[in-house]
Amino acid sequence: MFEFLLNPMYQGWIVQGLLLTVEITLFGVLLGLGLGTLLAIGDIYGKKPVRAAIAVYVEIFRGSPLFVQLFLAVYTVPTILNIQIDHAIMAFVVFGLNSAGYQKGYVKGAMETILDDQMQAGLSVGMSKIQTLRYVILPQTYRIVIPSWTNEFCSLTKSTATLGYLGFLDLVGAGLAIKGSNYEILPVWIIIAAIYFVWITCFTKLMDILYEKKRIPGVELIMQ
Amino acid sequence: MEARHVYKTYGIKNPKKAKKEDAETCVDIKHVVEAVKDVSLQIRKGDIKLIFGPSGSGKSTFLRCMAMLDIPDKGEIYLGDECLTAPGVDLNKARARIGFVFQHIYLFRHLTALGNVELALRKVLELPKDEARKRAIDALTEVKLTDCINKYPSQMSGGQAQRVGIARAIARNPDIILLDEPTSALDPELTGEVIDTLRDLAKEGTTMLIVSHEMPFAREVAEEMIFYDEGGVVETGPPSLFFNAPNTDRAKQFMTRIINRTTRE
Repeated sequence: MFEFLLNPMYQGWIVQGLLLTVEITLFGVLLGLGLGTLLAIGDIYGKKPVRAAIAVYVEIFRGSPLFVQLFLAVYTVPTILNIQIDHAIMAFVVFGLNSAGYQKGYVKGAMETILDDQMQAGLSVGMSKIQTLRYVILPQTYRIVIPSWTNEFCSLTKSTATLGYLGFLDLVGAGLAIKGSNYEILPVWIIIAAIYFVWITCFTKLMDILYEKKRIPGVELIMQ
Repeated sequence: MEARHVYKTYGIKNPKKAKKEDAETCVDIKHVVEAVKDVSLQIRKGDIKLIFGPSGSGKSTFLRCMAMLDIPDKGEIYLGDECLTAPGVDLNKARARIGFVFQHIYLFRHLTALGNVELALRKVLELPKDEARKRAIDALTEVKLTDCINKYPSQMSGGQAQRVGIARAIARNPDIILLDEPTSALDPELTGEVIDTLRDLAKEGTTMLIVSHEMPFAREVAEEMIFYDEGGVVETGPPSLFFNAPNTDRAKQFMTRIINRTTRE
């Protein structure tokens, strides 16, 4: 049933597919975290137009299907602008931008629980607002955000499955390719699903360990 | 340090909880709180002054204005010769010269006692690592906390945490230390250790402006007591004045209540 796994060509596709899935997810989640943090800070400190722009951004990326966003970014936008750009790069960017829309919420929520008094304390010792954000607020925010961030990672990993249907060789793309050449459907998808499962489980366990290690003693998890 | 004709008004009960939106709409709110109305106060090097008065009268707001943690609506704050309320002043530099101790302590929760004291030494004074550590340990020694330098805020008692707060404020050798009810959030049995620390600082000639209702302590260390009510200074004088016969009725009433409470305890 699983003989196809012995085929070196199929093995190569699966490895390539896994690498692309992992790369795009990690990059997307990291870009999303960085951008989400900036959006959160902008939303808290920004003037009205800035906050309005952020709200529009978030609604656009949360309110439309990721598949449509990907399709537009990978095929439509380069055509309109008449530029040659690597499809994978556009996909990276879309996942980052999309994830930022969600992560802004997590980061802002976490920041708001600590902002009041910690900012006061930071200013009172002579640090600037930026220094206080950098050395006091964000280190605490990221510790709080780790569990939400783990969720975001799981959800984004599975969202990348769309890529296979847009012609990328990610894990799903590898599955489609193998299925197309050996006509076995169930075993292929069982293997593909198992690989997702193992990768996500390992990663979330790692994040759980990180969360425990980085937990501030005595400060309990603030439920998101 | 000097405050000249300082005013501060806000439209909601708790300015710290205020969002920008509230501040914009507060013109429409009828009950605007005038927390600080034309308050002037001078404090010289080595002075210890104590502000007291009913809660909600604006003492903390005034103290926060002195530290430029709240920006006064009107009036000037001077630190030495420098006018902090003048436009273009680097407020961060100014705040670095002022120590502030909060009623609710406000330690950095993700840092140990040592980290709390060290952070500003590293990032504000930009001292090299070794020297920052040495000075942080000195400050913690001064508040007698050498045994819990590696504890996190939540692992300390309120009294210990507040002493870390004091160490954090004195470590930079600020020109003045402002203390906003440093003991009022603590259990009665823990106030003693904090008061002892403040007494030590007083002996060393530290310039302090303290909001507090610890009357025996005030009597012992304060050169001047300031009775503050309804957004302004009602009466000023040496402790002996307040403990014997304050001039104003309001101060008299308040002192009677406070002293009764203290003796009951």
